Amino acid sequence: MTDTKTWARVKSPWVLHFNSGACNGCDIEIVALLTPKYDVERFGIKLEPSPRHADVLLVTGAVTHQCAERLKRIYDQMPQPKFVVAIGACACSGGVFEGTYNVVGSVDKVIPVDAYIPGCPARPEAIIDGVVKLLNAINPPKQKTKKQKEQPVVNAELEEVKPTNSVEEKKQDDKQQ
Amino acid sequence: MFDFELIFRILVFPGFTFILFLTFFCDWVERKFEARIQNRVGPMVAGPAGILQPIADFIKLLAKEDIEPRNIKKIVFRFAPLAAFAVMVFAMFFIPIDGASVLSTGGFNGDLIIILTFATIANFLLFLSGWASANPYGLIGSARVLTQFLGYDIPLFLLALTPAFLAGSLNIATIVGSQSVFPFILLAPWAFILFILTLQAELERDPFDVPHSESELVGGLETEYTGAKLAFLHLTRDVQLVFGSALVVTLFLGGPNGPVFFGLDWLFGSLWFVLKLLAVVLISEYITCVFARLRIDQVLTINWRILLPAALLSLVLIIALVTWVYPMFGV
Repeated sequence: MTDTKTWARVKSPWVLHFNSGACNGCDIEIVALLTPKYDVERFGIKLEPSPRHADVLLVTGAVTHQCAERLKRIYDQMPQPKFVVAIGACACSGGVFEGTYNVVGSVDKVIPVDAYIPGCPARPEAIIDGVVKLLNAINPPKQKTKKQKEQPVVNAELEEVKPTNSVEEKKQDDKQQ
Repeated sequence: MFDFELIFRILVFPGFTFILFLTFFCDWVERKFEARIQNRVGPMVAGPAGILQPIADFIKLLAKEDIEPRNIKKIVFRFAPLAAFAVMVFAMFFIPIDGASVLSTGGFNGDLIIILTFATIANFLLFLSGWASANPYGLIGSARVLTQFLGYDIPLFLLALTPAFLAGSLNIATIVGSQSVFPFILLAPWAFILFILTLQAELERDPFDVPHSESELVGGLETEYTGAKLAFLHLTRDVQLVFGSALVVTLFLGGPNGPVFFGLDWLFGSLWFVLKLLAVVLISEYITCVFARLRIDQVLTINWRILLPAALLSLVLIIALVTWVYPMFGV
């Protein structure tokens, strides 16, 4: 039963796009994902209008002071299990806006982030790669050993390992349920 | 004693399970077709060519957290989506899928009216579900459902009477039976076209999809729904599509009538029925993909100024034809 649930979750991640203060570069790349060239509906990814329907929150841009509260509220409105993907250099680290008077900084200062996809803007291929790696972290392919299963989400473009605990926590939550 | 054949017919074929999987299959066909029209490939990963995608969506939604916001009308919020789904499936039970209706009876005189009423009730339950969700987008979406419903319901009933006049009966079994030689699409092609257009409004699809227009209303009446309730709202929409197409097949395309081989009536009957149903689904999806969305006032204008007079005209024409013209050709 848990296998079926995980299978369904991996095969049908519905995403919500939230711009927390981006320059629109990353947003255009996200829109490019839905176009015929990249067509993420292949993976069952659908862009949903309401946070209540979404499984994955795609956040672009450094978080401004005005947006921080809204971002947190949008995150709270999403039903469990939920995942957050920070897209673009600004969302990952604050980028060139780090330290400015009106900016909180990276997304993980406001809400827990499960995958980071750097790039300015992040290429659609990198976003697909990052989302697929996030999905593999939820449901690791069976031939992998247990050790590799506990590997955290891998940075999509640079292939660095960034330790995030939230995916593991969510897995435990699921098991408890 | 238990009638095991009846229980099998209700639960498995052509009852609940068959209708459920037919609904998932139609959803997949629709998504693939839409993707191909938009020069995409559509779902590919879940199962062969993505055929399990609707099932994956459904299971995922069932397994998600169920949030109930403050200020909702709890009972309506909880039960309206499920009730709408149940009513739509019950309406499907009256349609002869494999030559007889699910309850294995010949129906009764007037069951055409009954299933159209069930479709209306399901729409009203959808309206209630949005109304109970205490969300401005949900309220506007629900109000638009009702506003649009006022426009298309009368033409839909009038056009559904065309086959009834041709068959001389309001009984679905009789209507299907009298199409064994000529499907009614040959005798009244204009009514078929009008019926498909009106059905687009009933199913809230382009060009009449104002009630859940994503660019204006977030998710329309579904905005506040999560988890299992959202799953059943989606399923209700898909069953509505299957029901509408099944209605077209039954009323205009001859239902399960078709060549039968090896004496396997039920197999070929349901095969022809599903093939015709898919054809109607594709026509409906083509219209959805090609047309842009109308504004709510334009929808009402079209419904009241064009569809309603056209439906009345069609009814007058069909009565005249049935009374004076078709008897001369012995139809």
